[in-house]
Amino acid sequence: MMAKRTMTLNLTDAEMRVLDDLSLRKDITKTAVLRQALRLYQTIEARVEKGEKLLFENEATKEKAELMLL
Amino acid sequence: MTADVSTIYLLDVATGNSVEAELRDAIEQAQIDDWQTKWQPALLGILQDLARNGVPMSQWPQSWHWNWAQKTARVQGLLAFRGFSVVAQGETQGLVQVDLTKAGREPNQVRKPLVYIDYLEVAPWNRPEFGAAPRLRGVGTALLTAAVALSDDEGFKGRLGLHSLPQADDFYRKIGMTDLGPDSAYQNLRYFEMTAEQARAFLE
Repeated sequence: MMAKRTMTLNLTDAEMRVLDDLSLRKDITKTAVLRQALRLYQTIEARVEKGEKLLFENEATKEKAELMLL
Repeated sequence: MTADVSTIYLLDVATGNSVEAELRDAIEQAQIDDWQTKWQPALLGILQDLARNGVPMSQWPQSWHWNWAQKTARVQGLLAFRGFSVVAQGETQGLVQVDLTKAGREPNQVRKPLVYIDYLEVAPWNRPEFGAAPRLRGVGTALLTAAVALSDDEGFKGRLGLHSLPQADDFYRKIGMTDLGPDSAYQNLRYFEMTAEQARAFLE
């Protein structure tokens, strides 16, 4: 098991509600939600840096929308 | 980063004795070197034998073209990917690379995070399907156990997913994974998932 460090996180009520909701829907702890978010963010950044785009496709209409990352 | 090392035990098929091995929570340069200098020549010999004996390519080891140097280089530094290796008798005996960004498809765990096995391969000399008796048994199971334990440690409750090469379908059914059928979006390979309950049973 990898060693882990502890940090304090300050969130607004709205952010905390989202974190609670994601934790419930994804069946993972709040810490796991944040670690998962970090992984996904880093993965997306790495691919965008390589010149790729992040697209969402509507399964029914096949309509594509690009997620703009600043 | 230095790999965490746990001691596991494998079965030496020739003697029937248990053999101490290391389960390492990384794939390091030493493993890539072993793949290049030991696995590749052994695999080449096996492929030459299969070709000489007229065995059709459809029955060849389906992972014969996997390049672990490329696979590990592609994901270096990315938190989403983790690797494990089993080392025994001074040689790398098996490797697994997993992706932590995938989600479940099985009805009870749809869109819930899981550990997805991208690639799992055992050294050519440990694979029984090539005719000769394998040298060590238990390598694949040890790697799979490491992936389930990682899923548990990450808070994914042991959930696991993978696309199986046809030669391994029966193994994944035997250990109790749910067969969700061929995936047309992934070379028609069958997709298997382990639920939290199945993971608990697997680890017991």
